[in-house]
Amino acid sequence: MKAIAGTYESSDCFIKISDNNKTEIIIESNVFEQFGDAIRDVITKTLQEYNINNVLVECFDKGALDYTIKSRVTTALKRGGYIE
Amino acid sequence: MSRSYLFIPGNNPSMLQQMDVFEADAIIIDLEDSVVEYDKDAAIDLVNNYLQQLKPTNLEIFVRINDVDHPRFLADLIAINTWNIDGIILPKATLDSLKKISSQTTKPIIPIIETPLGVLDVKEMACFPKVIGFLLGAEDLTKELGIKRSQEGKEIFYARSHIAIVAHAYNKRVIDTPYVYTKDLEGLKQDSQFAQNLGFTGKAVIHPNHVPIVNEVFMPQIEDVILAKRIIEKAKETNFGAFSLDGKMIDKPIIERSKKIIALYEKYQRK
Repeated sequence: MKAIAGTYESSDCFIKISDNNKTEIIIESNVFEQFGDAIRDVITKTLQEYNINNVLVECFDKGALDYTIKSRVTTALKRGGYIE
Repeated sequence: MSRSYLFIPGNNPSMLQQMDVFEADAIIIDLEDSVVEYDKDAAIDLVNNYLQQLKPTNLEIFVRINDVDHPRFLADLIAINTWNIDGIILPKATLDSLKKISSQTTKPIIPIIETPLGVLDVKEMACFPKVIGFLLGAEDLTKELGIKRSQEGKEIFYARSHIAIVAHAYNKRVIDTPYVYTKDLEGLKQDSQFAQNLGFTGKAVIHPNHVPIVNEVFMPQIEDVILAKRIIEKAKETNFGAFSLDGKMIDKPIIERSKKIIALYEKYQRK
């Protein structure tokens, strides 16, 4: 299973979610040094909120705020059939 | 009541999080035409989280949903019903579509009048307590009529007049169609003044650079405010229902209108 959401536009992020043998998060961002941990935290909390494990989340960040990251992860999870 | 209603695409984070810097009195978050079909689901999630985390409190926020025949209509409406917004903008509104949405939401509704049937149904729609106003959608209306949309807007004169009269008869707000020539600010000013003279209380806007002009045109003019204050003062002093001021007869409708002008002026001054 693989699902995507978001864009590469400024203030947005592109999220790709696929099945994996453990929960893994890969982040690519111009502001990784300052906000990498915060982005990872939002993704982790969103996965926990929906009780999702064993997925690979790839996040290509273009300066997205927390609400955008959460939204794009949620949409990708829905599109991939992980949640309703 | 607001003067300018700025459309913002519902799937654009950059525009959403800047909505309070454009100085519009109201924002219409669009889930319809400006969101491509394959991203409608993403727009719902994005707006949902935006409103929960960052919703500004100093402006009215409306959401334009997809029309009642769209496959996502019901699912979207269930989500929107939980949002803290000032109302729903209903596209391609007719009496039938209004009945359909009205039974499934408690939110205030502003129907967009953009079909010939919609124009004919305005009066019946105005009787719904949930309907707080109307928005004229001239682009779709002229397309439906098979006529060319002109910059002067003569072809929408009847629709504008009809909607404005009905709206005022039922004490609803009435919002003019957007001016689509984004760089023609002089044309925008004339178009806005014309609509204001027909009774429109505000105007929809599709580009942020239109906001200041629309706000200015729909702001009560200072000389009207001064006159309104004099009328209210004189009305308090006299025991008669009608009286003369500067040689003109003043009676109840003019006194009520003066109260409205002062209330609007004070509201917009606070912004």
